Amino acid sequence: MPKSSTLLLKSSGRPIYLDHRPWYSSNGKNHEVYVIGVAGKYNLPTAQGGSASGKTSVARHITKNLGVPWVVIISTDSFYNVLTPEQSKRAFESNYNFDHPDSFDHGLMVEAIKKLKKGLATDIPVYDFSTHSRSPETQRVYGATVIIFEGIFALYYPKLLELMDMKIFVDTDSDICLARRIRRDISERARSPEGILDQYKRFVKPMFDEFVKPTMGNADVIIPRGMDNTVAIDLITKHIQRQLKARELDMMKHSLVRRFSKLSTLPDSLIVMKQTPQLKAIHTIIRDKDVPRSDFVFYSDRISRLVIERGLAELPLTPHAFTTPTNRSYDGFISPQYICGVPMLRAGGVMEKALRQVIKTAVFGKVLIVADPKVGEPRLHYVSLPKGIPKYYVFMMDATLATGASALMAIRAVLDHGVPEDHIIFLAILAAPEGINAVNNAFPKVRIVTSMVDPCLSKSSLTISPGFGEFSGKYFLN
Amino acid sequence: MKHPRVHLLPQNNQLKALMSIIRSKDTARGDFIFYSDRVIRLLVEEGLNHLPVVPKDVITPMNEKYEGVAFQGRICGVSIMRAGESMEQGLRDVCTGVRIGKVLIQRDEATAQPKLYYSKLPADISDRWVLLLDPMLATGGSASKCIEVLHESGVKEDRILFINLICSPEGVKRMLDLFPKLQFVTAEIDEGMDDRKFIVPGLGDFGDRYFGTSD
Repeated sequence: MPKSSTLLLKSSGRPIYLDHRPWYSSNGKNHEVYVIGVAGKYNLPTAQGGSASGKTSVARHITKNLGVPWVVIISTDSFYNVLTPEQSKRAFESNYNFDHPDSFDHGLMVEAIKKLKKGLATDIPVYDFSTHSRSPETQRVYGATVIIFEGIFALYYPKLLELMDMKIFVDTDSDICLARRIRRDISERARSPEGILDQYKRFVKPMFDEFVKPTMGNADVIIPRGMDNTVAIDLITKHIQRQLKARELDMMKHSLVRRFSKLSTLPDSLIVMKQTPQLKAIHTIIRDKDVPRSDFVFYSDRISRLVIERGLAELPLTPHAFTTPTNRSYDGFISPQYICGVPMLRAGGVMEKALRQVIKTAVFGKVLIVADPKVGEPRLHYVSLPKGIPKYYVFMMDATLATGASALMAIRAVLDHGVPEDHIIFLAILAAPEGINAVNNAFPKVRIVTSMVDPCLSKSSLTISPGFGEFSGKYFLN
Repeated sequence: MKHPRVHLLPQNNQLKALMSIIRSKDTARGDFIFYSDRVIRLLVEEGLNHLPVVPKDVITPMNEKYEGVAFQGRICGVSIMRAGESMEQGLRDVCTGVRIGKVLIQRDEATAQPKLYYSKLPADISDRWVLLLDPMLATGGSASKCIEVLHESGVKEDRILFINLICSPEGVKRMLDLFPKLQFVTAEIDEGMDDRKFIVPGLGDFGDRYFGTSD
């Protein structure tokens, strides 16, 4: 028996954040996600149905035409109410009205679409039709630029309509719809043809006439003949593309640097380690272009450990009285239990080791951001964060904080997963004023801890100067 | 206690939490070792800050000049057995291949004075800076005896860095008075000592807890 998750599609089967361009502006605020509602008649073509021409197919076709890999299709079916045992029994006897607007948890729908629209990581329930309840697992959606919300009641609930940027009604021939429904319910939902027809007569048709048909009036566009209407689909796609283009902002590294290189002050959120002779001596070793690689690795590890320890000192304390073995009381403190490291690959991995050495129970997420070689704009290739991350203090780690472009992206991703801004501490071995100010401007409550701040970025290469060059290449490879 | 030759670790939140763990009598031995090692690493890093450096410029991969410094002079560690040996690894972790001498001093029951039982020091110790390792400093009896041993081996007093975890105010005062050029690095200075000359509140017998010889 399939679960509703089969209806939640990731375009082209790729992770939706693959190659993701910035989905936020340089002030760190998320762009609104573009939400499309697609309603239509009471058919729901199967995921396997090749010749289907209903809502899902139209949605998929738009997705394909848009040519962006971060479109997510979410079905109203994921939001069916959990049935009582009695209701469930009736449902198996084809005697339960699934086609009434009250069969859906529309409060949850609104909540989910609201979150998705803000660009926040959202857990979409997975409805299990074999038990008429929600599966314990959920589908996490994050990083989409366009959300397509489809289902017969997609245009029914007023609060949902307010969240939609475009509302589409797919109008298809009723006979074809019935035929499709029969085919789907037999193959996917284990019903008998008699039961389906009876249900159609008693619930589906009257419900459609009463509740769904009037929502055509809420649509911006009605597509007659569904999938076959390629002209309509192309026109819609072009319109969406135009609107998305208008939202794109200049996020390139150069513009960040232009904006923040003029600032001569450094913010209060910056914590620079005490500039001791030892620290300076270690810097002298790792900055030397002729340093043997083994020394570079050894002293990078050592300095990472110091940066980690300084970062941990930012954690708050809870007072607690301890008794020592001499039976004296000691007014001590407890440090928070929930510590999460998020290294920005590759270079941040160096500090992951150091954090593991000092916090045995730390959990780790990973972020891989690669700069587009042509425009220098960061691309989010991979993000994996622990479940329950909102309750953790998060240490984001990178060897350098240069322009701040990847730092902004990584911090935005962590915030979108529900971590409070003041629970994020960004650690870097070396930082430049431009990046520090870019991060502080976007996220003033994120603390930045570094061992040293260099005077500026090199104008031509946008790397820290005098700096220590490309860190991870040296650490991992040559 | 403020003194130009006493270098206290920064009393930040994390250190307070770490000290709380190792001071608690309910802390399991595994945790005691783990967190002691963490503080020891910080102590060693702080200790190294008091070694002399000389200016040294390097060219970075960006072809820019960095005006840095380089370590000057050679170092060695000397651990006061048995507890001091717990600090050797922390030193080795930051100074690979460092030479480490050992000294065993115990109380002579007849005279109640500390007595040297054993010492094995690097042959060229008189040319080196010495990081003297002992986590607990109570009366300062064995520590001062040990510094006398170092003197006899030709070590200059201003080249000795005492690396310590917890000390009594009496102990540290005695050391500073006896050795006017000694530098002293510690994590916390406690209230005092009890009748048995244990540091209070302290953390009990460090060696017993670290090496597991108490039960």
